[in-house]
Amino acid sequence: MSAYFRQVCAIVKKDVLLEVRSRDRITAMGAFAVLAGVLFNFSIDTTTTRPQDVAAGLIWMTLIFGGLLGVGRTFHLEAQDGAFQGVLTSPVPKDAIFLAKVIANFTLLYAVSLLVLGVFALFFSLDIGPNLPWIMVILALGSLGFVALATLFAAVSTGTTMGETLLPVLVFPLLVPMVVFGVGSTGRLMNGRPFDEVEGNVRMLGAFAFAAVAAGAVLFRYVVED
Amino acid sequence: MSTAGVRRGATGFTLLGLAGLIGLFWMSFFWVSTEVNQGIVQRIFYVHVPAAWTSFLAIGIAALCSGVYLWLRDEKLDRAAVCAAEGGLVFATIVLLTGPLWGKIAWGTYWNWEPRLTLTLLLWFVFVGYFMVRNATEDPEKGKRFAAVVAIVGAIDIPFIHLSVIWFRSLHPEPVVAKPDGPTLPGDMLATLMVGLGVFTLLFLGLFLFRYALEGLRSEADLRARRPAS
Repeated sequence: MSAYFRQVCAIVKKDVLLEVRSRDRITAMGAFAVLAGVLFNFSIDTTTTRPQDVAAGLIWMTLIFGGLLGVGRTFHLEAQDGAFQGVLTSPVPKDAIFLAKVIANFTLLYAVSLLVLGVFALFFSLDIGPNLPWIMVILALGSLGFVALATLFAAVSTGTTMGETLLPVLVFPLLVPMVVFGVGSTGRLMNGRPFDEVEGNVRMLGAFAFAAVAAGAVLFRYVVED
Repeated sequence: MSTAGVRRGATGFTLLGLAGLIGLFWMSFFWVSTEVNQGIVQRIFYVHVPAAWTSFLAIGIAALCSGVYLWLRDEKLDRAAVCAAEGGLVFATIVLLTGPLWGKIAWGTYWNWEPRLTLTLLLWFVFVGYFMVRNATEDPEKGKRFAAVVAIVGAIDIPFIHLSVIWFRSLHPEPVVAKPDGPTLPGDMLATLMVGLGVFTLLFLGLFLFRYALEGLRSEADLRARRPAS
């Protein structure tokens, strides 16, 4: 078990280090998130809609689109120069590779999701203070479920001739539960409702994340075998 | 079973299904009594519900065969999965076309985000993705594996989608047949519905076997085309 853990850590470390040095994906995702916030601000007619009422939905949409932008390129760098073959031929179990990729992507996306939360709170003058810890937990669960599905299907779409254009077609239909539970809970918490009211949503979001990670860990080996 | 045998079975099921379809149309247009509250528009129910049942059956077969294919790697299972998925897509399209026609009159709107509608639409998209993945790989083996993964993840997601959409208030009529205390549907309506279920299942089996035989012939042709080159 400790060997397994070490292997996962080694791949996570490699991926995070690559990202820290190149800053490719985090810059793209961060810029996307902030710019989406700006555009969304002008897409709301404030004479008919209160921006606060739709902010939770917009945050999750930004997270999904921005996340797809970054997670879709998980295997891009390694696929280009055949380095991924090296990772695959190493004695690391395939599910460890998947879990490591999920953890690395999660770190990236969770950082972006906190940025999104901050930016939207600023742009839409949201009062998130009292429920901030719970909102952060909910964003973590949502990011985890999303990253697990998107990483699995990023491996699929990287292996096809269509590449990343295929990713939204595969991932979006599966994300409905995440959006329903995520928006349902963050929206109410941002409006100052008590946590008890959204506990069911949060539990379902956790179950969704768990199922996504488990399914990905089992199925990943069939995607990357050659 | 040989390809010729499969084709004979396919012809038999399809002919039976088509004959049954004429019977079903006669029953639902002329024989069955009109429902009191909804009126004439309710008759679309005898096409809509059997199509929905068949599409879920087909999608179930596709997901099951995909799962076992990844395990055993038997070509026949992949062939069965792709044929069932295609049938599921066709019948789900019928569901998505007949539902709004009824909804416009009964609900006053073509579409709403009711759980069963949403689930059918999303499954339809999952299986569109299934075929896109399948056709977007240079190596057919890879396409088969990728498609199987899409089908399995789609199947795992179904309960979550269903539960999540129930969070919204439901407009769809409650089940009238599969209930714990027995069907509440009047006898003639129940009979028509049961005939519909039988007919659509037969049609699906016929189409499924035709497609299965076709896939068999195609892989045989591929094999022959490759042989002189190697």
